[in-house]
Amino acid sequence: MSRAAYPPPRTIWDGINPIRMIGELSETRYWMYLLLLPSAMLITAVVLYPTVYGMQMSFREMRLNRPDLGTDWVLFKHYARMLADPIFWTSLRNTAVWVTSSIALEFLIGLIAALALNRNLPGTKLLAVLILLPYFLPNVVAGHMWALMLDPRMGVINDLLVKTGLLVGYKAWFADPATAMAAAIIVETWHSFPFFTLLIMAGLKGIPADLYKAADIDGAGALAQLRLITLPMLKTIIAAAVILRVIGLVNSPDLLLILTSGGPGRSTQVLSLYAFQMAYKDFNFGYAGALSVVMFVLLMLFAWAYIRLSKVNQD
Amino acid sequence: MAQTRSGSKLLWDVISYAVLVLLALVCVFPIIWTFLTSIKVEEDIVTREMVYFPTRFTFDWYVRLWSQSGYPVLVMNSLMVTSLTVLICLLTGTIASYAFSRFHFPGRTQLMLGYLVVRMFPAVLMIIPLFIVMRQVGLLDSTHGLAIAYTSFLLPLFVWMLKGFFDAAPKELESAARIDGSTRLGAMFRIVIPIARNGLVATCVFVAIAAWNEYLFALMLTTSQGSRTWPVGLQLMVGEFQLPWGMLAAGGMISILPVIVLFAIVQRVMVAGITAGAVKG
Amino acid sequence: MATLSIKGVRKSFGSVEVLKNIDIDLEDGGFLVLLGPSGCGKSTLLSIIAGLESSSGGDIVIGERNVNDVHPKDRNIAMVFQSYALYPTMSVRRNIGFGLEMRKVDPQTRESEVNKAAEMLQIEHLLDRKPGQLSGGQRQRVAMGRAIVRDPDLFLFDEPLSNLDAKLRVEMRTEIKRLHDRLGTTVVYVTHDQIEAMTLGTRVAVMKGGVIQQLAEPQTIYEKPANMFVAGFIGSPTMNFLAGRLERADGGLVLSHGDAALPLTELTQDAGAYVGKQVVAGIRPETLHPGSGGSTLTGTVDVVEPTGPDTMVILNVGGQMLTARVGSRDRPKLGEAMTLSVDTAAINLFDPDSGDRI
Repeated sequence: MSRAAYPPPRTIWDGINPIRMIGELSETRYWMYLLLLPSAMLITAVVLYPTVYGMQMSFREMRLNRPDLGTDWVLFKHYARMLADPIFWTSLRNTAVWVTSSIALEFLIGLIAALALNRNLPGTKLLAVLILLPYFLPNVVAGHMWALMLDPRMGVINDLLVKTGLLVGYKAWFADPATAMAAAIIVETWHSFPFFTLLIMAGLKGIPADLYKAADIDGAGALAQLRLITLPMLKTIIAAAVILRVIGLVNSPDLLLILTSGGPGRSTQVLSLYAFQMAYKDFNFGYAGALSVVMFVLLMLFAWAYIRLSKVNQD
Repeated sequence: MAQTRSGSKLLWDVISYAVLVLLALVCVFPIIWTFLTSIKVEEDIVTREMVYFPTRFTFDWYVRLWSQSGYPVLVMNSLMVTSLTVLICLLTGTIASYAFSRFHFPGRTQLMLGYLVVRMFPAVLMIIPLFIVMRQVGLLDSTHGLAIAYTSFLLPLFVWMLKGFFDAAPKELESAARIDGSTRLGAMFRIVIPIARNGLVATCVFVAIAAWNEYLFALMLTTSQGSRTWPVGLQLMVGEFQLPWGMLAAGGMISILPVIVLFAIVQRVMVAGITAGAVKG
Repeated sequence: MATLSIKGVRKSFGSVEVLKNIDIDLEDGGFLVLLGPSGCGKSTLLSIIAGLESSSGGDIVIGERNVNDVHPKDRNIAMVFQSYALYPTMSVRRNIGFGLEMRKVDPQTRESEVNKAAEMLQIEHLLDRKPGQLSGGQRQRVAMGRAIVRDPDLFLFDEPLSNLDAKLRVEMRTEIKRLHDRLGTTVVYVTHDQIEAMTLGTRVAVMKGGVIQQLAEPQTIYEKPANMFVAGFIGSPTMNFLAGRLERADGGLVLSHGDAALPLTELTQDAGAYVGKQVVAGIRPETLHPGSGGSTLTGTVDVVEPTGPDTMVILNVGGQMLTARVGSRDRPKLGEAMTLSVDTAAINLFDPDSGDRI
C-alpha cells in the first residue's frame, strides 16, 4: 500500500482558502457555538427583543392614532383598566370555553383515528393521508370552506340537515350568539384534530407489541387493554400534545378572526382576538400588550400546573 | 374460544374501517365541496334547490380571479415570502439543529427549551413590537420584513424538527469521516447532511407550508398590494368587494393546491419528523 | 507503522472520573487489546487515542509525535467501528477510497489501492453496491478495507465483531489475525470478549473502573492473573475461588480447606507472610481431574453440564461450589461423592481483602 501523503499538501491558496479556514475552525471546541450564533442572533432580534419590548409596552401609554398622548410610563394603568373591562372578562370566559371544548373534541377524535389507523389494516395508508390533510390547510381557506357550507342561504350543511329532518329551516349558524361558538369549535376541531392523531400514532408505535400479547394471554379485553396499557403508555405524549395545542388555541386568533371577528355581539370574543383587534383596529398598543402579557402569564401557569399534575400522576 | 377471538378481531376491523372512512369523508368533504363550487356556474351556486352533482361546468371563476383581481401579484408575494423564510431557516437553522444534535455543551438543554418556550409568546405580543421595529428600519410592508418576522416562530420549529432527522444519523459516521481526513465541517456537509437529505426536504416543506398559510403576521405587517400575501388579499377581497362564492372558492383551491401537492409528496417523511420532534420534546 | 505510548492519560466527565492515570507502551507492530466490562473506560480511551475526545490530562504519543493537539484527520490512524460506520450514501468503492479522497490522492492511485484492498478482503464484487445492500459480514469487510487502504500508523478497532453472529465472529476474528500478521501494523483493539483478547492480542490490558488491572501477554493474564477481578473475568467457565487457610507443613505451604490440604508450589516470596491467615485459592476448572492421585478435593455432584467436547461438573465442596472441566465421557451422577485431583502448580493465591495475587 502506498503511503498517503501526510500532512496534506499546503499551498498558498490553502492559507487563504475560506472553506479550509472554517474547516480548521470546526475542529476547535468553539465550533458548536459558532454554529448556533446566526440563529441565536436572529431569535434575539425577532423574538426576545420584541417580547421584552412588548412587555414594557404594557406599562406605557402607546396609541399610534393618538400621538398627542405621548408614550409615558403609566405603570399598571392598563392592567387596572382590564380588571374593570367587562369585555376582558367575557373574552376570558369565552377563551376557556373555546380552548377546553376544542381540546376535548380534538383529543377524542384524534385518539379514535389514531387507534383505528394503528391497526395497519390494508388500504388505510391512503385514508391516513386524507385524515391528516386538514391540519396542513390554511386557516383562511378552512374558514371560508366552512363558511360556504354553513351559509344561511345556500349552505350544504343546512340543506343536508333539513333534508334529513334534523332541522326545520336553514339556520344562520354564525349570526346566532347561541350557535356561533359551537360552529366555530366544530371548524377548529376539523382543522386541528389531526395534530392529535399524528402525535398519538407516533406514541402508539413506541408501545412494545409484547405488552398486548401478554395482556391477551392474561385475558384482558380490548377496552381493558386501552385503559391499562395504551393510555398510561401514551401519557407523556398526550401531555405534550395538549400543551402544544392549548398554546396554539390561546395564542392564535386567526380562525375566529376569519369566521366571526368575535361576533355576533361578543359571543365568540376571545382574549387573543381582543388583543389583536385592540392593536390592529384601535392601535392601542399599550392595552393590547397588557392583554398579551396576561395571556402569556396564564399560559405559563397552565403549563406549569399541567406538567406538575401529570408528573404527580406518574409517581 | 378461538372462534370468539377471531370474531371480535373482525368486529374491531370493521369498526376501524367504518370510523376511518367516515373521518376521511368528513376531512375531505369541505375540500371537494369547495372545488365543486369553484367549477359551478353562478345559477347552480345561488339556487333554491341545492345542486349536488352539477351538469354544467365553468372555469370562469378561475379566469376572473386571475385576470380581474390582483391575485397573481398576491401569489407572487406569497411565493417570495415563503422562499425567503425557507432560505433563512435553511441557512441559520440547519447548522443550529446540527449543533444541538451533535454536541453536548453547557446550556444546551436550556437553549433547546428556550427555543420551545418561544412558542408560548402570544402572537400579538410579538407582532406589535415587530410592527414598530420594522417601521423604524423600513421593513414594514415588505416581503423581506415579513419573511424575517416568520422566522420568529418557524425557525424554532425548523430546528426542532430537523434535529430529529440529524439524530437518526449515527455519530460514528462523523467520527469515521474525521479519522478518514475530513474536518467536522467536511463531515457535516459530505456525510451527515446527505444522509438527512429527505428530512431536510420534509422540514423545509413543513416550514414552507406554514409560511404560505400564515395570516395574522401578514395582516399586521403588510399594508399595500406590493407586499400583501394571498391569505390577506383573499380575506380583504371578501370584505371589500362582496366576493362571489365561486371566485372565493376558486381562490381557495388555487391557494391550497401547492399545499396538497407538497404534502402528498413528502407526507411520510414529514409526519415522521413532526412526531419524532414531538416525542422527544 | 509506529509505536504508541499512552502516558498518564486521565479523563473526567464533570466530577466522574472515567479514566485514571493510564500508562501503556506498545511496540511497533504490536496488537494491544483493551479488555473489560462495559463502562470500564476502554472505549473512551480508544476515542482519546483517535482524537475524537480530548483527555483531561496526559499524553498520547504515536511514533515520535505527541498528538495531543493534533486533529483526528491528521493523526494518520484508521478506525473500524462497532456499527461499521459506512457512509450510506456512497458506494462501497467510494467508502473505501474516502480517506484517500480526503487526502487528495490522485484518482488512478486511489482506484488501484481500493482494488488491492478489496482483493485482499475478497470484496471486489461488492465495490459498486451501497452499504445498505450488504450483509453484516460484508459490511465488516468493507469497514476493514476502508481502514487498510490508508496504510495508517495505527489501526483502531472498537468492538468490531460484536454485531456479528457467532459463526461469522469466529471467521472474522481469524481474518483480523491474518491481516495483522500480513500487514504488521500496530493495532489497538477494544473488546469485552475474552476469547478475542486471548486469540488476537500480543498484549492485553484488562480494565475496570477506569484503571488498568493488568497489562501483560495473554498467556500471563490467563495463568497469572494480577487480581481476583482479572482471574474471574478471563476464562470460561470462570476460575473457581476456594477460601481456605494458609499453613506451613512438611517444610512447604499448604492450603487447608475443611479436611483437605493442598500443598502449594510456585509461590511468590510474599506468601510466607500469609501463613495462618485466610486466603483465596484460584483454581481453573481444567486443572481439576477426576481421580485420587496427588492432592485431592472431594465434594458432592450438584449439576452436570455436558457441552460436547467437555462436561462441566459443579460440585459442592464443603459448602463452596467448584466447577471442574472433565472429559466428555465422564457423566457423574447427581448427589454422588466425587474426588478430584488438583494440579497444584496451577493454583493462584489471592488476598481476600485486597483481591490481589499473592
